Amino acid sequence: MGYLGKKLITLIMTLFLVSAAAFLAFQIIPGDVVTSILGTEATPEREEQLREELGLNDPPVVRYFHWLGGLLRGDLGISYRYSKNMNERMPVSELIGDKLPVTLWLAALSIVLIIVISLPLGVLWAKSRSRAVDAALGVATQTAMAVPSFFLGILVTYCFGIVLKLFTPGRYVSYRQSFSGFLGYLMFPALSIAIPKIAMTARFLRNSMLTELGADYVRTACGKGCSDRRIMYGHVLRNALMPVVTFLGMIVSETVAGSIVIEQVFGLPGIGRLLISSVSSRDFPVVEILILYITFAVILVYFLVDILYRVIDPRISEK
Amino acid sequence: MIRIENLSVAFDGPEVVKNVSLEIKDGEILGVVGESGSGKSVTALTLMGLSARTARVTSGRILYDDVTLLEAGKPRDKALYRRYQGARMSMVFQEPMTSLNPTQRVGRQVEETLRLHTKLTAQERREKVLETFRSVGLKDEETVYRSYPHQLSGGMRQRVMIAMAVILHPGLLVADEPTTALDVTVQSQIISLLGEINKKQKNAMLFITHDLNLARRLCSRVAVMKDGCIVEIGETEQIFEHPVQEYTKQLIEAVPSRLKERKSDAEPRENGRGRTAPVVEVRDLSVYYQEGSNSLFGRRKRRCVVKGADFALYAGESLGLVGESGCGKTTLSRAVLGMIRDIDGSVVHNTPRPQMIFQDPYGSLNPTKTVGWLLQEPLRARGAIDASLALSKEEMEEAAYNMLRRVGLEDFYFHRRPSQLSGGQRQRVSIAQALITNPGFIVADEPVSALDVTVQAQIMELLRNFQQEMKLACLFISHDIHVVYKMCDRIMVMKDGRIIESGDTQEIFASPREEYTRQLLNGF
Repeated sequence: MGYLGKKLITLIMTLFLVSAAAFLAFQIIPGDVVTSILGTEATPEREEQLREELGLNDPPVVRYFHWLGGLLRGDLGISYRYSKNMNERMPVSELIGDKLPVTLWLAALSIVLIIVISLPLGVLWAKSRSRAVDAALGVATQTAMAVPSFFLGILVTYCFGIVLKLFTPGRYVSYRQSFSGFLGYLMFPALSIAIPKIAMTARFLRNSMLTELGADYVRTACGKGCSDRRIMYGHVLRNALMPVVTFLGMIVSETVAGSIVIEQVFGLPGIGRLLISSVSSRDFPVVEILILYITFAVILVYFLVDILYRVIDPRISEK
Repeated sequence: MIRIENLSVAFDGPEVVKNVSLEIKDGEILGVVGESGSGKSVTALTLMGLSARTARVTSGRILYDDVTLLEAGKPRDKALYRRYQGARMSMVFQEPMTSLNPTQRVGRQVEETLRLHTKLTAQERREKVLETFRSVGLKDEETVYRSYPHQLSGGMRQRVMIAMAVILHPGLLVADEPTTALDVTVQSQIISLLGEINKKQKNAMLFITHDLNLARRLCSRVAVMKDGCIVEIGETEQIFEHPVQEYTKQLIEAVPSRLKERKSDAEPRENGRGRTAPVVEVRDLSVYYQEGSNSLFGRRKRRCVVKGADFALYAGESLGLVGESGCGKTTLSRAVLGMIRDIDGSVVHNTPRPQMIFQDPYGSLNPTKTVGWLLQEPLRARGAIDASLALSKEEMEEAAYNMLRRVGLEDFYFHRRPSQLSGGQRQRVSIAQALITNPGFIVADEPVSALDVTVQAQIMELLRNFQQEMKLACLFISHDIHVVYKMCDRIMVMKDGRIIESGDTQEIFASPREEYTRQLLNGF
């Protein structure tokens, strides 16, 4: 069995365990769905009817496998809370189908910004011999790391939206209307998510490069007559990237999972808002699917990081 | 021809190289010997234009043939140096593992030298690298070319480093402790290789070492450095046979050699074996390791690392365990101490609480504690296990001060931390820590390998004295046969997990039975 096969099985097992945990957790958490939907005034008959309708009378194990079977067939279940019209409840897939792309695109855009800006910044910082540049970048990244992202969101809205008028705050453009408009609007929340992470990653890369510059093989390269540029890009960069990749993995999975606050600040109809409202209204089918999505995304990112690590460091694949 | 004239180098503080003048003719090998901190490496790195950014040349100059490479008061001419580095002068370093880029195939790393300094085509470069690999004794050069550093053994890595250094036949080759990190048998091969290259290419060679035996073997002239100065320089035989300076005499004196008498402190063997029971008895001991990944799916393998070891150790006796890295020396000693449980056979201890002294005095002492605390720790641990042996706070302090004096450290060291001590002092603390509970048996795993020769001699003397005083049985692990010769009454030679030969030190050194033992003793 190859490496990929093993990884794939681990991935599936993790998802299975998380799905079971998520499902069971909501069986244990106090609070009756039926009461929360109908309110305390409902008649026992009406409650019983709804219970039957939602399949709540089966034992939890049966319901879990029923739910899991549905998942495997692509049926994500029915929301307790949202209705399509007067008589029909909303399927979870339809509920998140609209919102998931917004969150995914936001995450993707943030990640692209993080990588595209932080890596060159880190390299330039490591190369800079000027004390002024060093001090300025030190203070700037320190500040960017310390500011909470919702406040950054407000700052971004003010600077780019109100002062520079690069976008209209609050006027979200759906990707169905205009994709470029959609990306243009997402750019700014993505920036708010990315800025602190750019600062961290750039700092990390710079430190990693400075450490590598002291390594013995750099002295060997000097001894061969390599130019500073060649040493930096030909020898140091790849070695310095190894710890950064792990770090980026952590940052990226955090980004994928946690854009809730920023979605609120910029009024984006992503899954962040849905997650909050579903948890507070005990709309468990929705919450369970969202948990699975986040888990899946995080595992997937680590999986990719693992592969990337193998590409960069030849020593790993041997073990 | 290389000329270093009145070179002085300083970092932020005082000069670490003071007024050093050296001359290396083409085809000559000049050895520079000295202990750590003597300035020998700084001199070499300055010559190569590789010294740290903070290093300042405060006087003198360096000439390569008639070109001035470096002169005091002028900044290093990087462009000039870059033309020389790799092409006309190159260097082989101590650590072949870390000196190669871990993420690049070694063929590419060697080829880079050609790419920087020649106009050869890709095909020609490849041919030349393979040819050089063959000439430095790398077999299966195609495979080596494609390998990453971690896939090669230490000796092969150093051969790659040498190939990289000599591929363009530089006029100057600097070798800074090129064999220190290698096993004895490999050491010997690398030294021969350097000698051959020097004969063939006729380059001026600067050979830096702390090992006087190596310098004597390879160099035609030797310079002795101390505290940044050259204290003595001359023909090798002249220096070794008739040293003029006191320091040179000390250095040579410190080197263990078979020409010097060694005395045994063990009880007469007949008595020891006949009457007293051995301190440690090891019967048919095999030690296993679990190998394989920790993942859910990996299959674990049980690998036999030590096979059928069988020996006994008597009071006051010092038993040497020699062999190359990876032969199972350390594993065996850990099993004897009960630190590895997966064993067959038996280990019987007749004294309680055996102790251990480790190789690295930097890593094996907790840097956040004071020396006094460290010395009392074994007493505390003993008290915690056996309440009848628990001591009061005052008694423990008293014992720690006592021990400190016995290892030759003054009282004020009690409150120092390991980082404030020199390597030798740290090793004294390690010894004190091991002996404070009065063990009958200690394992010393390469206790002097990390130390300078003169310090090495002092520590060995100290250990010998303690052994005599305390009737201590000692399992002494070392890869350095000179040290083993000086320290041990009996020797066991280990190879691939088996003890292939054992016997009296004198006898083994005089007439080794096994071919492998002969190889090990070759450098002696």
